[in-house]
Amino acid sequence: MNNIFRLKIALQTMKDYWKITIILTFLFMAMAAMYAGMFPSFEKSLIEMMDSEFIESFNFFPHADQMHTYVGFLTLELYNIFWLLLLAIMFGFIASSCIAKEIEGKTIDILMSNPVSRKQIVLEKFMGLIPMIIIINFSMMVVIIGITVALNESLNYVNLLVVHLISIPYFLAVISIGLLFSAIIDDKMKSSIFMIAILIGMFIINSISLMASDYEVLGFFSFLHYFDTFNVLEFGEIDGAGLVVFISVTVICLIGAIVYFEKRDIEIT
Amino acid sequence: MTNIIVACPQCKYQMSVQGNPGERIELICPKCKIYGFFQFPEESSTAPTEDVIVVKNLTKYYGKIKGIEDLTFSVRKGEIFGFLGPNGAGKTTTIRTLLGYLHPTNGEAYILGKNIAHNIVNIKRDVGYIPGELNLYGHLTGRQFLDYFGSLRNKQLPLLTDLLQIFDVPLDRKIKGYSRGMKQKLGIIQAFMDDPDIVIMDEPTSGLDPLLQQKFYDFLRGQKKKGKTIFFSSHVLSEVDKICDRIGIIRNGKLVALEDVETLKEKMGKLFRVKIKERPEKFTGPKNMKVRDGLIEFVTSGDIDYWVKQLSHYTILDLEIHAFSLEDIFIHYYEGQA
Ligand SMILES: Nc1ncnc2c1ncn2[C@@H]1O[C@H](COP(=O)(O)OP(=O)(O)OP(=O)(O)O)[C@@H](O)[C@H]1O
Ligand SMILES: [Mg+2]
Repeated sequence: MNNIFRLKIALQTMKDYWKITIILTFLFMAMAAMYAGMFPSFEKSLIEMMDSEFIESFNFFPHADQMHTYVGFLTLELYNIFWLLLLAIMFGFIASSCIAKEIEGKTIDILMSNPVSRKQIVLEKFMGLIPMIIIINFSMMVVIIGITVALNESLNYVNLLVVHLISIPYFLAVISIGLLFSAIIDDKMKSSIFMIAILIGMFIINSISLMASDYEVLGFFSFLHYFDTFNVLEFGEIDGAGLVVFISVTVICLIGAIVYFEKRDIEIT
Repeated sequence: MTNIIVACPQCKYQMSVQGNPGERIELICPKCKIYGFFQFPEESSTAPTEDVIVVKNLTKYYGKIKGIEDLTFSVRKGEIFGFLGPNGAGKTTTIRTLLGYLHPTNGEAYILGKNIAHNIVNIKRDVGYIPGELNLYGHLTGRQFLDYFGSLRNKQLPLLTDLLQIFDVPLDRKIKGYSRGMKQKLGIIQAFMDDPDIVIMDEPTSGLDPLLQQKFYDFLRGQKKKGKTIFFSSHVLSEVDKICDRIGIIRNGKLVALEDVETLKEKMGKLFRVKIKERPEKFTGPKNMKVRDGLIEFVTSGDIDYWVKQLSHYTILDLEIHAFSLEDIFIHYYEGQA
């Protein structure tokens, strides 16, 4: 039992993804700097373009009518696409391959020759991915603050912090789904494709629910419905239901992954 | 008191003798009346008695495909047990079921007295394993890999230094760039470094050159002397012959033989091939004697001296005596008893 608190597999997982973490960190920092920095040059033309027709053509994004404001621009360009979708895809991809690749690559035999339980493998792989989330998350926040100060735009920094705090359970939910796939599907490519399909699916579902009010209920099946970055950033509104959803999904998927992984045969052929 | 069957060196008559280990008794062959002594073997002080691996009716089906069926055997403390069988016989399945990778369809197994179904993590504290399809983390260097595994064992690694000396590997290179033999060496090092009570190995010498194989056998013998138990599967009969105390042969998922290697060797006998100047028919050999291309061929177990003396009455042009290869015995089992 004391083994599980030594977190050696988690530590190794962290080391294994260290390079990717650094690359993603710089990538997202650069992206944040670029998009936030672009705002002043777009501001004028955006304000001019803000008629109902233009907004209508973007209504698959939440708060498309706010595109001409700094907060609206940030959430639309940066948070909705690069953050909630693209980064989630990256994390999902990594999580959904992290156990599968040990089985596909047949390293699981040698790993499990150590006195480690299957439960421990799933949990520690999960924990090993958390530092990556935290590092990327807060380094991007710092970049946004820096750019905002440099541009002399107004932004509520407490709300910005809240966005990045809520991002943690959001991404944890994403990686726990990935881990569940990873524990079930041996083929890491297949497992990743399922994961990415789900994330893109959730994005599409959310867009549909925004565009067509008939399908509004569909939105409940999308994570994005529970994390409206604009409302948090502009008004400091926290969606309590969203937090509950993210945390429950995390817990349920983790338990599911553990139970399945304990029960299954680890076949190597 | 033990009972041993002794063959008369002259007429091959088999008699049963009773005595205590180490005792020397007089014998007279009831058939040919030859007189002699028989010394009972000493009971070895490290008599392997305790069963450290106990397998009971173990069965594993992959869906409808049979992996192993109703396997029952045990491995004693301090012995080197060889597990043999043709491709697809179920060796890997047995090993991977024993170590908890596969859940048995039926039956049970105990390692060091602990049930594999409930205690597998604890069992692995005292059991090392070298997988058959050895895949190590290619992105790590040998040193990083051993550090990682050392930390997972969470134990002293008393054999690490010795092992690194015997099986030296380029520790600072990435495992990705290792040759097959180097990877195998690293696999051996990690399995033995914490000096576990039992080591289970699936074809451990594949990829090792003959020199290293030799070193590996010596190492295994050393471990055995310390009372450690080795269980391994193999296709290399010469190595099984060299180092195993007992063997199990599995075919089609079922155990077909479980023998002491000594007993097996006795069963094997020696093959004589003789060319004599006289007509071959003039020589009366044992029942199994055959004449082929003018050469006399027969198999005999143990009593070489007797037959050499018999042959000395003839003019020998050529004489060959060699051990019946293990191969012949195994092929007999592999193909199924006719
Ligand atoms: N994952 C699997 N799915 C289905 N059948 C399997 C699987 N693994 C093994 N088998 C079958 O189980 C039987 C035993 O296979 P196993 O790998 O245990 O043999 P083996 O004795 O190790 O053979 P080899 O000497 O080739 O290594 C074979 O018929 C094999 O086809
Ligand atoms: Mg095999």
